[in-house]
Amino acid sequence: MTDAGTLEETRTDELLELGSPWVTIVWNDPVNLMSYVTYVFQTYFGFPRREAERLMMMVHTEGRAVVATGTREEMERHVEAMHEYGLWATLTKADA
Amino acid sequence: MTPFRRRRDGRVSASFQPAEAQLLLSLAEEAVELARAAATAENGEADPALRRLLPDAYPDDPEASAEFRRFTAAGLADRKERNAQVLIESLAAPSDHVVRVVLDEGQASAWLRTITDVRLVLASRLGIHEDGDEGDIHDEESAMQRAVYDWLAGVQELLVLALRP
Repeated sequence: MTDAGTLEETRTDELLELGSPWVTIVWNDPVNLMSYVTYVFQTYFGFPRREAERLMMMVHTEGRAVVATGTREEMERHVEAMHEYGLWATLTKADA
Repeated sequence: MTPFRRRRDGRVSASFQPAEAQLLLSLAEEAVELARAAATAENGEADPALRRLLPDAYPDDPEASAEFRRFTAAGLADRKERNAQVLIESLAAPSDHVVRVVLDEGQASAWLRTITDVRLVLASRLGIHEDGDEGDIHDEESAMQRAVYDWLAGVQELLVLALRP
């Protein structure tokens, strides 16, 4: 799942060049606080507070949310960063 | 404990009772050990609590997950260990008096991450797997773990709120 804002930021020519993009998914867990997850999304990804809260709520209610789209290498970097924050994150091909 | 508050210089500060500071210190020391253990744990046979510290990156691809782990586990464990060391250093020497901590943005981030790591491990040990799980509380030790788990959530919440612009 993604939104128009994220798509706009992704340059179309890059997507064409690389074929299917990859996505970073953050999964719900019973441990992390809603305030902390919002903080991580704001601090690490630079999302404005409102967007960070929207994604956090999506994780909380839907069980997961796509928080980034891009190359496999970029997504691996994001997943590694999320693991350092203690969030449960994975990457997968966008069309998978 | 007094709640974290933002100071004029942008840093955040809070005070802890000696027993609270001592508890945080021993938990951070444990976090150092856990980070080291997580890095060296053999694939597949790791303790689930350690597994949660360094989870699989590819949910449906064990091979890619193993490869990811090979390239990232040591660095991640190092950084987790360093974060815990920051917490230990900011509490300085435990004393009989109230311990006042003053944290800049980076130190506060290290605190948040270490508290998260400790809570992830406690949750796994207590059997808290889903939203709303109370955990398997069957004796004094597990009751204490649950109390620590909740107390840490409170500390983390106060710290996150203080960091908000």
